Amino acid sequence: MNAAKTLEKALVASPERKLEADADLAVVRQVQAGDVQAFDRLIGKYRERVVGIIYNMTSNREDAADLAQDAFIKAFQSIHRFQGQASFFTWLYRIAVNSTLSHLRKNRLRSFFSLESIREEDAVSREVIDALTDKSGAGRDTFVRELQEKLNDAMQKLSINHRTVVTLFEIDGLSHQEIADVMECSVGTVRSRLHYAKQLLQAELQPYLPK
Amino acid sequence: MNQDRKITVEDLLRLKRAERPPAEFWAKFDAEIRAKQLSAIVSRRPWWVGLIRGFSGVRRMQLPLGAAAAVALTWAGLHYAGSRPVTVQVLPAAVTVTRAPEATAAVPAPQPVKLSIAVHEVVESSPRDLAAAEKPVVAATSSHLVQAPAALSAEATSASPFADGIAVTLADYRSMTVDVARTPTFGSDREFEPSIAPSHPQVSDPLAHVDPAEERRERLLAPALGPRQITGDWMKQRASTEVRMYESMDDHTSSDRSLVGFRF
Repeated sequence: MNAAKTLEKALVASPERKLEADADLAVVRQVQAGDVQAFDRLIGKYRERVVGIIYNMTSNREDAADLAQDAFIKAFQSIHRFQGQASFFTWLYRIAVNSTLSHLRKNRLRSFFSLESIREEDAVSREVIDALTDKSGAGRDTFVRELQEKLNDAMQKLSINHRTVVTLFEIDGLSHQEIADVMECSVGTVRSRLHYAKQLLQAELQPYLPK
Repeated sequence: MNQDRKITVEDLLRLKRAERPPAEFWAKFDAEIRAKQLSAIVSRRPWWVGLIRGFSGVRRMQLPLGAAAAVALTWAGLHYAGSRPVTVQVLPAAVTVTRAPEATAAVPAPQPVKLSIAVHEVVESSPRDLAAAEKPVVAATSSHLVQAPAALSAEATSASPFADGIAVTLADYRSMTVDVARTPTFGSDREFEPSIAPSHPQVSDPLAHVDPAEERRERLLAPALGPRQITGDWMKQRASTEVRMYESMDDHTSSDRSLVGFRF
C-alpha cells in the first residue's frame, strides 16, 4: 500500500499542484492583459525553486543566478504565447531547464564549483549529518564541506540529462510525468534515466553509505 | 554518529536541498532581474528576430524537408525532361561547313583552296526527325556551341533549356570523340598544309637572301679592305645609296636655303 502511494505520488501530480497551477493561470491572464506588475508575484513565488534547479544542475551559484534571471525574462517576453494547456510552472521549468542545458553544452569543458553552504536548520539534513559523523564544531563543518563537495562532484559526473532528472525528482520533488513534460520525453525515459543515475551515484558515494 | 539510521543515496541528495543562498543574494537577484525586465520592456527587438522565431519550428524538420525538396526537384526535372523528345545533332568542327546532298568524303571539292568536310549527323529520335535532318544546315563558325543550338532551333523539337544544354554538351562530346577517333595523332596538321597554304598571300622577305655570316664578315673587314672592296650586294647597295644621298645634300647645301622633305 505504501509502495503504491509512493508510485502514485511519483507518477501523478498532486492536487496541491493543480490548485497552484490554477492560481498561476489567473496571474498569467493578468499579465497578458497588461498588468506587468503581476509578473513580479510569479517571480517571487518561483525564484527559489528555479535558482535551486539551475544551481543543482550547474553547481555554480553565479551561473544559477544569471540563468534564472534569463529564464524569467524569457518567460516574461513570451508570456503572450502561453495558452494555459500546461501549468505555468511546467512551462517556466521547461524554459529554465532548456536554457541551462544549452549553457552546459556550450561550456562543457568549463566547470567549476561555486557552492552555497548547507543550512542545518532543516531537520532531515541535520539527521543525515548526525548519522554520518559524531564530530562537532570545526570538525563537523569540515566533514559537511567535504561531503558537499563529494556530492556535487558525483552529480557533475553524471550526464546532463541524468543530472537534470535527478535534480527534478530527488531535489525539487517533481513527479515522473511532470519531469517528462518539462524535458519533453516519455515517462519511461525518465524512469530509466533516474535508475541509471542512482546507480552511478551509489557507486560514487559509496564511502558515505555505511553497510 | 547514529548507527541505527541507514543512509541512502536519496538521503544524501536531500542534503542538497539545504544548500540555499543567503538573504543578500536574493536582494541582488531582485535588483538585477528588475533591471533586465525594464530593459526588455524598453528595448525594441529588430524585425529579423520574429523571422528567426518563425523559422525555428521549421529548423527542427530540416532533414525531412530537405529530403522532400530533393525528391520533388528530381521528380520535376525528370518529368520536365522526359515529357519532350530530345533531338541531338552532332556537327563537327569546320572552317566552312556546307552540307550539300552530293557532298561526301569520297567526292573531291571543286575548289582546291576551300576545305569541304562532310557533315556527320547523329540523330537520336524518330525517323521523322531523320527526314527533317536532310535539310541543309549552314553554320559559318566553327564553334559547336553556336552551331548545335542553331540546328536544334531549326528543328524546333525541344523547347526545354535543359534539353538544349544537354544536347549541346552531348554534341560537343561526340564531335570531339569523332575527331579524335578519325584523325591520326601525328601528321594530321601536315595534311592540311597544301590546301591551306595557297589561301595566304605570298609575303616577300627582304632579308631572305642575306647570309648573316657573310654579311657580318664583310662588314667587319670593310675598314681594312677599303670602300671599294665591298662585295656583298646589300652593302654595295647601301654604300651607293649613301653616296647618292651625300651628293644630293652637297647640291642643296650649296645654296642659302635647304629643303628637307619627309616621305612616309
